[in-house]
Amino acid sequence: MTRGALLRFGLLLAAIVALPLAVRPVVASEIWIFAIAGMALNLIFGYTGMLSFGQATFFGLAAYTAGLMMIHWHAPLLVVLAAGTVVGALAAAAIGYVCIQRVGTYFIMLTFGFNQMFFFIAYKWTAVTGGDDGLPGIPPLALGPLAIRLDSSLRYYVFVAAVFLLAFYAMKRIVDSPLGVIFQSIRENPGRAAAVGYDVKRYKWIAFTIAGGFTGFAGVLYSMMFGIVPLESISWIISGDIVFMVLIGGIGNLYGPLLGAAAFKWLSEAISVVWERWPLILGVALVLVVLFLRGGLVEAFRRLRDALGPRARPEPGAKLPVGIAAETEAGS
Amino acid sequence: MSDGALLRTERLTCDFGALRAVNRVSLDVRAGTLHSVIGPNGSGKTTLFNLMCGEIVPTDGRVYFEGRDVTGLPSHRLTHLGLARSFQRTNVFGKLTAYENVWAAAFARRTPGALGFLRRASEFSEVDEEARRILGEVGLAHKLTARAETLSHGQQRALEVGVTLASSPRLLLLDEPTQGLAPEATQQMTRLVQSLVGRYTILLIEHKMRIVMSISDRISVMAFGELIAEGTPDEVRENRDVQRAYLGARR
Amino acid sequence: MNTSLLAGAVLNGMVTGMLYALMGVGLSLILGLLNIPNFAHGVLYALGAYVMISGAKAFGFLGGLLAAIVAVAMLGAAIEYFGVRRLYRVHPDYILLLSFGLSLILTESIILVWGPVGITFQPPALLTGAIDLGVTAYPKYRLVVMVVTTVLVLGCYLFVTRTRYGAIIRAGIEDKEMAAALGINIRRVFTLTFAAGTGLAGLGGALMSPVRGLLPTMGIDILPFAFVVVVLGGLGSLPGAILAGLLVGVVQSLMTAIWAPGADASVFALMTLGIIARPQGLLGQR
Repeated sequence: MTRGALLRFGLLLAAIVALPLAVRPVVASEIWIFAIAGMALNLIFGYTGMLSFGQATFFGLAAYTAGLMMIHWHAPLLVVLAAGTVVGALAAAAIGYVCIQRVGTYFIMLTFGFNQMFFFIAYKWTAVTGGDDGLPGIPPLALGPLAIRLDSSLRYYVFVAAVFLLAFYAMKRIVDSPLGVIFQSIRENPGRAAAVGYDVKRYKWIAFTIAGGFTGFAGVLYSMMFGIVPLESISWIISGDIVFMVLIGGIGNLYGPLLGAAAFKWLSEAISVVWERWPLILGVALVLVVLFLRGGLVEAFRRLRDALGPRARPEPGAKLPVGIAAETEAGS
Repeated sequence: MSDGALLRTERLTCDFGALRAVNRVSLDVRAGTLHSVIGPNGSGKTTLFNLMCGEIVPTDGRVYFEGRDVTGLPSHRLTHLGLARSFQRTNVFGKLTAYENVWAAAFARRTPGALGFLRRASEFSEVDEEARRILGEVGLAHKLTARAETLSHGQQRALEVGVTLASSPRLLLLDEPTQGLAPEATQQMTRLVQSLVGRYTILLIEHKMRIVMSISDRISVMAFGELIAEGTPDEVRENRDVQRAYLGARR
Repeated sequence: MNTSLLAGAVLNGMVTGMLYALMGVGLSLILGLLNIPNFAHGVLYALGAYVMISGAKAFGFLGGLLAAIVAVAMLGAAIEYFGVRRLYRVHPDYILLLSFGLSLILTESIILVWGPVGITFQPPALLTGAIDLGVTAYPKYRLVVMVVTTVLVLGCYLFVTRTRYGAIIRAGIEDKEMAAALGINIRRVFTLTFAAGTGLAGLGGALMSPVRGLLPTMGIDILPFAFVVVVLGGLGSLPGAILAGLLVGVVQSLMTAIWAPGADASVFALMTLGIIARPQGLLGQR
């Protein structure tokens, strides 16, 4: 690993340890949960160029699936996690297949429309989902054969942080794999990507499905937090929140969604206590980021660092990084 | 089709509504040759390329590559069959580095199967070597880590060719590689194209007559979507129809 | 279900449908010209309704309508001029995100100004009460709204297809650079089109306020349906938006009468089926 990567990862570990000291463990858990969902959106939007406004579909479907499995079958934790991930991926495979037939605006509105459809189904199908009241009765959890009980929010945080690191590693492997470059080439120039030999629709579908799996994984973690699966798990408000986080954090960068999730959750916690109309601040933040700082917090940090001193160049002959995990320079 | 025609089109036609952009063009490209397509602006040369490469589906006619009917196949399939094309307007992956641009194209031919994607991209040393080799060949060895959109026009045209070469094609379709280049860069590009002769079969669209005449084995001339002449450079130079098409009716 | 109920449902569907068509037409214009789904379209509809009721208190019903149209259209123009315009060269996705941020800001602002509680609004005295249509009795005001929105929608269609300015708009949709090269002040066209599209949304909200009542979330609630109309009708197609609007309105209304829980979901199911069966939308190109 390069020095820069090591530093970043070290900061991440430090953040994981320090976070419950800065915010309540419940909020800290939410940060990592949404960081996972944010990484998933980043994969399809930042890397592949597809803006989905309906990720809550997979988040919510997985959350409800997990909830129902835990309530009716007392399914163990790891099974539920696996099931939710699979549900998220399968739903994304099916929905993605339809949405990917279109690009740009159509695609966005289709993802949004599907989200709405599932939302309304969840809203009205109260027998299964509890509707507006949510799905109550999630039993307290235990982890694995040692039956470690996750009954305090701090213990749950440790669990969430641990699985987050796993998810982070998995995502890093994905973007470091050839898929990372392929997805980005599709974002940059789908026509040329096809001309050099990539079946663009197929790779878009793969990206969307992978993202659905990760988002489902996050949804399961969310379902276990409150003893209840709230309706908002599948509402487009969460879809919008996830988009915010990725954008505010820094799009196209692996760490962006993490920064974004942290900033978003921390801000909403801090401000909503003081002012009920805090979404207005959020809207203003989004507008400002979109107009003036499209790279989000990552770009802000980068500008700061560049202002503080010039960057080192990679040694000639060194193994060249491929993909956005590499910090590419603006010309040599 | 065992008569050495690597690429053959038969009465290839393309209509955009009422406009017939390409009209029953039949031509053969023989393996190992450099075959140029020339013609005044708007004569349908790029459209012809688009038809051959799956960018547009022809209204009529057929395309055969290595004896196989490839009419209307999508472009990503054609690349895997051994046909690659460069674009008149530079068409690379803007925010990716020159290295990543070529790497992406080189990797595409490899289809490692699902398990291959479990490896890091940087572990594919064959692809890495290939990318570096090609970038060296097109003169961009010193610009590996530069983002494509930051390259000068000449460097971008070189990258354009590099990306095309990275598909390891048997047939190269080059669409005006010297487009917009200053004289010195044009010479460099010409030398590059010449160095490719023999290793690849080349179908070249070019405007600069001196280049075309000096490096082509065969030339096809198009005007108003039709093939009006074909032959060796000398034959084409003498051809009255060609002169008329370029210089106007009264000669 | 008896005929009276059915007739009522169909009529309701047509009222809602024409509203959806109005929203769809505005969205379609903005989408066609600017290639962005305007997420703020819903909240501008809501704003139209709220400005209407405040304006009506001061200036009467028609005054309120006028205030609504003017306020929303001017806001739309300002949004385009100060915000959207900066992002043309960047990427359409960012314009969408801008409109999303604006929708948040405006929704919260509505709550700040008018409060979070729902408000009802009475139609003008002249138009209260119902008319006996034989098969059923139907509120006068709703019939008037249906007629007015139909006239508006047809008027838009005729404007865009038959007038010179409409031709300029269509030229801009086809090829902005070319239109600009021909000497058309394309920037002004964009701003005016955006203002017109959003103004239509505001007008829709104002007209519908006696029918549906007002809630701060009414914009968020109607937005998905407006999107469905545009996607189903075919992006950039005005006749498509009209047809799809009616279809969506009627389907939703009938479902509400037959099996209410399925009403909303059925709209999206309709959209999905439509896209699968005909990817370019009912009347879209390609």
